[in-house]
Parts: sequence; C-alpha cells; structure tokens
Amino acid sequence: MVAQRVDHKWGMVVDLDRCTGCQACVVACQAENNIPINTKDYFQQRRAYEWIRIERYWEGQFPNVKAKFIPILCQHCENAPCEPVCPVFATYHNDEGMNVQIYNRCVGTRYCSVNCPYTVRFFNYWEPVWPERLRNQLNPDVTVRSRGIMEKCSFCVQRLRRGEVNVERRGLEPLTGERIPTADRKLNYRQMKEGNYLPSCVQACPTNALQFADQHDETGPVKEHFDEANEQIETREHGGHVDESHTRVYRLFEEIGTKPNVVYLKKVEPFPVEKA
Amino acid sequence: MKLTRRNFLAWAGIGAVGAVACEGFGIRYGELDIQSPVRLPEDLVRGTDNWYASLCRVCPSCEGIVVRVMEGRAKKVQGNPFFPTNQGKSHARCESGLQALYHPDRIPSPLRRSGPRGSGQFLPVSWQPNGIDSLRSALQARGSSSVMITEPLRGHLGLLASRFASAIGGEQLGFESLDNNTYRAAVKNVFQQDNLPDFDLENSKFILSFGADFLSTWISPTRFNRGYGEFRQGEHRDRGMFYQIDSRFSMTAASADKWLPVRPGWEGHIALSLAQVIVAENLQATGVNVDALVGGAAGTQALNNFRPELVAPMAGLTSEMTGGDPVEFLKNLARSFAKTRPAVAIGGGSAGATDNGLFNLEAIYALNYLVGSVGVEGGVTLNPGSPWDNVPAAGKVGSLADWTRITEQIRSGQTKMLMLHGADPVHGLPESLRLRDAIAQAEDLFVVSFSPFLDDTSAMADLILPDRVYLEDWGDDISEPGPGYQTIGMQQPVVNPLADLDPLSFPDVLLTMAQELGKESQLPWSNFKSMLREGSDALFALNRGSIDAASADDFWNRLLQRGGWWDEKSTGPTKVQAPNGLLRSIAEKASDPEFSGIGIDSDSYYLVPFSHNTLLDGYNGHLPWLQSAPDPLTTVTWQTWVELGDSTAEKLDVKEGDIIRVESSKDSIRAVAYISPAVPPDVVSIPLGQGRQHGSDYATDRPGSESSNVMDILETTQVKGTGSLAWAGTRVRLFKTGESVSISKLEGDTRAEEIGTTPGEEIIKTIKPENH
Repeated sequence: MVAQRVDHKWGMVVDLDRCTGCQACVVACQAENNIPINTKDYFQQRRAYEWIRIERYWEGQFPNVKAKFIPILCQHCENAPCEPVCPVFATYHNDEGMNVQIYNRCVGTRYCSVNCPYTVRFFNYWEPVWPERLRNQLNPDVTVRSRGIMEKCSFCVQRLRRGEVNVERRGLEPLTGERIPTADRKLNYRQMKEGNYLPSCVQACPTNALQFADQHDETGPVKEHFDEANEQIETREHGGHVDESHTRVYRLFEEIGTKPNVVYLKKVEPFPVEKA
Repeated sequence: MKLTRRNFLAWAGIGAVGAVACEGFGIRYGELDIQSPVRLPEDLVRGTDNWYASLCRVCPSCEGIVVRVMEGRAKKVQGNPFFPTNQGKSHARCESGLQALYHPDRIPSPLRRSGPRGSGQFLPVSWQPNGIDSLRSALQARGSSSVMITEPLRGHLGLLASRFASAIGGEQLGFESLDNNTYRAAVKNVFQQDNLPDFDLENSKFILSFGADFLSTWISPTRFNRGYGEFRQGEHRDRGMFYQIDSRFSMTAASADKWLPVRPGWEGHIALSLAQVIVAENLQATGVNVDALVGGAAGTQALNNFRPELVAPMAGLTSEMTGGDPVEFLKNLARSFAKTRPAVAIGGGSAGATDNGLFNLEAIYALNYLVGSVGVEGGVTLNPGSPWDNVPAAGKVGSLADWTRITEQIRSGQTKMLMLHGADPVHGLPESLRLRDAIAQAEDLFVVSFSPFLDDTSAMADLILPDRVYLEDWGDDISEPGPGYQTIGMQQPVVNPLADLDPLSFPDVLLTMAQELGKESQLPWSNFKSMLREGSDALFALNRGSIDAASADDFWNRLLQRGGWWDEKSTGPTKVQAPNGLLRSIAEKASDPEFSGIGIDSDSYYLVPFSHNTLLDGYNGHLPWLQSAPDPLTTVTWQTWVELGDSTAEKLDVKEGDIIRVESSKDSIRAVAYISPAVPPDVVSIPLGQGRQHGSDYATDRPGSESSNVMDILETTQVKGTGSLAWAGTRVRLFKTGESVSISKLEGDTRAEEIGTTPGEEIIKTIKPENH
C-alpha cells in the first residue's frame, strides 16, 4: 500500500544569464547518482552518461563570436514522449511532476530514448565497473543500474524522499530538530535548503543558475516563473499570442507541446552577434 | 450469475464502496493505473547519515565543505553553507576529493626505490623501522642542505613546515606551476597589501577583467562565480556590465558581454590608455586626487604616451573587433567604466604572464583608484592579516628564479636532500629547466616524497612515505583571499583510512622527526592536532568572532562543527592612500612584451597556455571525474588539445582530430587539433593538466599524441621584477603530422552552433537588456 503523501509539484528553473558553464552541476550529479566513470571510449562512442550536461553553442565567427552555455537535463515533461512508448511501463509520470524510471521493470527496448527530443536518456551498454576501492563512495540511497537498462535524471528523488520522511512524516525541523505541528508538515523551500534536500546539481551550482522547488511554494524561487510559463501555455492553447520579446521565461522546444517541468530564463544579451 | 436488476445494484454498491475505500487507504489516484508492484528503490530511504564540516584541499583556494558519511564511508562532498568564502557552493573539483580518498592507485604503505632513479620501481617497506629510520638518518646527515617543496601552505601547516625547515637548517618553498607571485607583487605595489584582495562582484555594476579566468581557475573561482551570479541577476539590482580583455577566448570571456581580443602582453598599455582618457576627460570619481595619483604634469605627459590612438594599433585592435573605430571604442569603454560605479578592474592570468606582466597588472589595478573602487562596496575589498601573530596568511611560493637556483643546487651537489609534499615540480616546470635530469643524475641526493599518489617527481624518490588524504587528516587554513574579514577554515578527519591502507599524517611525521632530532624547542607539539588545538585556544582567548563559547573545549567543538571561525568586524583597511605619482611610475616602467626563442615571424603563433578547468596544472590528473568533466568551451575530455582558429586550420589544412606537432625553440609536443571559431588567427592555446609519465592509469594511459604537457615547450622567460615564469611568452610553430585520432568530447561530430536566425528558433534564447 502506498502511504499518503503531501502533494507536491516539483520544478526547476535554469537561468541562462547566470550560467558560466563551470561543470559543477555535472560532477555533483555524477557523485550523487552513482553514474559510471565516463571513460575516453564512452565519449568517443558518444555514449557518455551525463544526466545533466552543459551544451555549448557557438555563435558568429572571430572576432564577433560568442559561446553560450545551456544545462540540459531530463525536462520531466507533463506530456512526456518517452512514456507512452514504453511497452512495460518502466517509465511513467507521477503526480509530483516527475518522469520516473523504474529500473527493474526496464527491459531495454530503448524506445523511450529514441522518442525523447532532449536526448537525456542513457542506456547502459555495459555493466558499470568501479575499482573495488572506489565503490566505497557509492551512494547507498541510489541504485547502481545494471547493463541493459535505461537511466536518466531523477530530480534526485532520493533527496526529496529523505526530506519528505524527515519533515512530513517525522515532523522534524532540519537544522534544529524541533517538532513541527502536524498541520504545518509540508516541505518548504527553506527546509529543503537547510536539510540538503535539493537536487545535487542545484545545491552545487555556484552562480545559483539552477533553482528548484515546489511549483506552488510561495516561498520558493520558481513559482513566479512557472506561473508565467503556464500562462503562456494557456494563452497559446486558446489561440492567443505570447509576446516573447518582453519575457525571459521559455521552455525548451515549446512548440512540440511536451510541457516540461523545467523552465529556462533567457540570457540577456546587450551586444548580440549579428546573424547572416 | 444471471444479471438481474437486484444483482446489478448490489455490485454497483460494492464497487462504489471499494473505490471510496481505496482512496481512503491512501493509494494516490494518479498512480493507480501504472503503480509498479516493484517500488522505485529511491522511494525507500534507509540509514542515517552524518555530515562533518571540513576544508577542500583539491585546489589552492580555501573552501569550506561538508562531507556526508554513512557507515564509516564518505559519500558526498558539498559546500559548507556557513563558510563565508563559498557560502555552501562548490566547484566541480571539490566533489572529486572522494575519488582521491578511495582511489585505487593510492600508495598503501611506505616504498623504497628498488630500480634506477626515475624508473618508478619500488618495494614496500614498513614504517618502523625502515621508513621512519631512513628519514631520520637522512635528515641527520643532510637536513642542513635540504629543500622541502610543498603546495602553497598557509595556516598551521605553513608554520610547521617553515619552522621544521629552519630547525634542520634547510629551506621550504611552495610550488605552483602558474604561480601568483606577479599578482601578489602588483597588489603590494599598488595597494601596499600583503594579503590578496577580494572583489565584491555581487555589488559591482561594471567588471573590467584583463586576462583573469576568474570564473574557471583563477584565485577563488567558486567565490567569484557566486558573486557573478548576483552581478547578473541578483534581486534588487540592475544587471551588471562585463568586459573581458584577453588574448584567449576563455570560459570567463564567454560569459562576458564583450570580449576584446588583444595581443598577448599589451593589457597594461590598454589599461593605461583607459586611465589617460579618464584623466583627460576628468571622469574620475569624486574625491580622487588625480594630480597626486598621476604625478603632476610629468605624469600627465607620461600618460599621454598611452593615448588610445597610439595603443590601439600596438595591441592589435581592429575595427572588426571593436565594431567601429578602435580608438573610439577604447574611449567609450573608459567612459562607461568611469561612469558606471561601482566598477572594478581585475587583472591576472595571461595578462601577468609575459615578461612585462608586472607592469600590466599594476596598470590594471591602478584603474581602481581612478574610479574610487578601493575598499568600497562593489569594488576591491582589502583583506586583513592572520588573527594569529605567527601563523602565515599567505603561502611563500617559489618563482622560476627560485626553481632555477634549486635545480642548479641539485646539479652541483649543494642540495643533498629533497622533500616533497603536494607538489610535482618535475611535471609542473618547463622541461628546459632540466629538473628531471638534475635529480636523476645527482649522485649524492636523497629524495623523500610524502605523496599518497605516484607522480612524476615522486617517481624519482628514494623513499615514499604516503601521507593521509585530507579527508582523513587534521588541518586548518586562512582564507586567501578572505571575504574581506578574518576567516579561518578547519579541516578534520571525517573517516579513518581503509584497512588496506597504512598512511601516516605528514605533519605528524614532521613533529615526530623534530622530537627525535632534538628540535622540541622550535616544535614543542607532540602531534599536529595538539598544535591546532593551541591555535583554537588562542582564537578563544581573542573573545570575538563567530563562535560564542563558554570554555576552550566548547570553542574547539564549535570550531569543528561549523568548519571554521570568522570575525566580520575584523576587516581589512577600507581606505588606502594611493602612492604619490602611482600612474606616472607605472607608465615610466612600461615595456613592450618580448618573445624570445622563435621570435615574431609570419610562420609562428603566440602560444597562450591555460590552466585546465578541472585538472588545473595536472595535479588532479589522477581523478577520473575531473578527467571526464568536459572542458566548458571545447567539451574535450581525457586528451590534450590545441585550439586553432578557423583561419589557421584552413591555412594548415588541418581538421579536427588531426595530430599537430607544436614546436618552440625548446622542444615540441603533439596534441589533438580542436578547431574553434573563437581563436584569433595569430594565437594557439593548449591546456595544462595532461602528459604525466608516472602514476595512476587515469593520468597516464593515453599515448603522447593525446596526452602531453605544454610546460615541456615553454620558454624560460621570467617576468621582470618578480622572476616568475612568463608562461604566455612563448611563440610556436605548427606542423601537421599526418596522423589523426577520434577526439574524445561531448560535442557531436559537427560543430554545435546556434542556428536559430529568428527569435523563437534558438536553443538558447536571448533578450535585450532594455526589454528585460
């Protein structure tokens, strides 16, 4: 039986104007989620595992050249193209806004990977191998995925669950350990920060380009952006026009209608490269 | 069963009750359809974790970390949210401390050389009597002619190492491949400070950076990244403006609003041309005594030699680069910089790494006086000294002049003992210094390494006494640069070494030796922890700062709990009087950059090496997470690449993945070509970090064409006035070898370019500041 949980709707906001491409999120994710060591061969075969990666796009030519960075991770789409194609329901959408991968259901058809427009699903072509001593570092909260199955960003669900257990079920304030009255036991942004329940990439990001919270949490940093993004969707669905030149909020590949739970904020560009 | 009206109603009733019951049992409606009978393992949270505060030691900056420990094993490293410099944030490098801790290639126990020196052949020996006795006898016989080479040391380990060296009559020096001595000298000459300053990027409105890759590797990148994030999109402020003047398109240049490519070594001239415009147009901040700063009429005359009209062509600025007349561009830049306050000018990296590097940096930092940014919010924040009287807040780091002298001493037999800790000078110094040969051929030299990993210098050792990794050991540090006030970081062992490892703490070994050699008067402590505890008691006695404790024991516990101590009221100076005639004296010492060796001809290129984003100078080369973290701009991993501009590639008929031989007057190396649209036509760039010959497979298992050390080809030019290596002062020639490899990078086979030509099509959408 599934225990009653407080409803959440998790969401991430990526501010491209803050991102410097430093790779802190990438390594933090690998450390947290037992991602196999990406060897030189993996990169040469284009099979490196990076649940979050920094893509770099050139714009222009020397001397009028720019390089722009964008962190790409599973967008946890509301209309996820990866979900309906899975023949064994190994990937599904839970009601917290997350696209979830059940590893021990996966039979490795890779249909989901083919159907993902963001290329954020990774197939285990090999059994992950760590030297014996390095295995001491593996996170006991996260499954080590075996050969033949698909894996992807989980929004560090193990951290969210730990937060839910400590705050919502046990009723403990993260820093002080004080009891929280039963009526107030809903994990909020402050508790997520203090209790270290934010996804590992968000926690590490030195410029705070990555922000994560419940989309309905008034105290969190993402609500206003999701409200705006949802308003955009609604306007479009009703045939209205969204004036994109005056908003920073957008979703990746908005036009294909996946409704991601990751929202991007546009880079501010005072000296844009003139395009041909 | 026959379907009757009665049966139908009965079943409908049971169904309704069942549905209500199911809802009541708590199964979430949305998951009923596809709820897995096998739960997502991550849903089940088991075990209790403990978090310990400590210090990151993967790079020279001082960052507070917290380490997650479960069942005696360290599981995760994160930034310490209380620590003032990094405020809970971390660099990619910090995380990889775990891989150092549990590295498969850690040296498990003491080793004694069994083959020819440099062969890397060793046999294990015991600590007692072999290891410790050998060290004691070597110190007794050779201590007075010894040199101890360490990482840059501050705090109590700095005090211990320098006292130990002086007690035995030897010398101790810190080592960095790309040392900051020129930057340090510029800070001393311009601001009269012994401690490196902080930059308040968070509150700045205009950043003008020359050569400093401060978002990637320069000085304190996590702190600067944090400030940069606020500088861009902090609440209750306007977005800041950022110009990067740099001979290489670095990760920092990529984040700038405008990158101005400049010929290497001309940054100081540009800084003075900006100063000239500010002075000539009377744009200085209120209260700035321009006459005193410039040095009267003679100073104005000297500055006039740096008018934009003269400097722009010398620095190689063209109208294509500046989008119009370069002279007007410089004048407008000076005006914006002076009017958008608070503004801050930062200089470092390649700007201080040509023979005239000291002039360049002094000229850059002097700009801060003109715009009134010294000691103010949003500008240069000066740092106070150490809270302890005798504990160094700045590490003494050797310059190329020092390493040349020491190499000569080894060669002549004057230095008879070399002790190494946290430094790999054989890999990190230019090959033409011949340190490797000097050590290999010295007959009467005893080399002891305290490294927990084999590296190129440790491979030359006679004895290796493996140190504990920092997550297993005690320590402290004084933040340099601090956040503007006194800040101490504490390092504590968060786990014990694994059972199959037998390391001994380096400071404890030094203290044991001091006692056995009868040096207790200089080093009276029985172990390093007691030395640190004495330091803690001294802080407690100050009766100020972040820890409010009733007793010294309580203070010590809280110090470890919080990961350090800081006192926001003990700030550095907020007012500094600029030296009289500062700009005149800088202008008078100006010189053009000189490039020895090949010299400047049409077939050669400026070589601008750079510190690797995660591997730095190569000391992290054994850590697989850092090898596999893509370089932000090229996305290359595991390999050494040479960045060529499109025009250079076309001229040489080179495509990506071709092996290029890069040749200076000293030597040549091979590297994989990466062709970039952002490299100037007369420049090539190669990262440091690879090319280790000894040690972990993660650092050494690639052929020389894919993993090479750019230090091998650098000219040994020194920066005038500091003796540091002028590492951006080399010219090279490029040759196609005809070989090619598959490049190991995240980017696909085709160059990833933003192809959206109309708003709405881009992957990375942009917005104009006025619409924001």
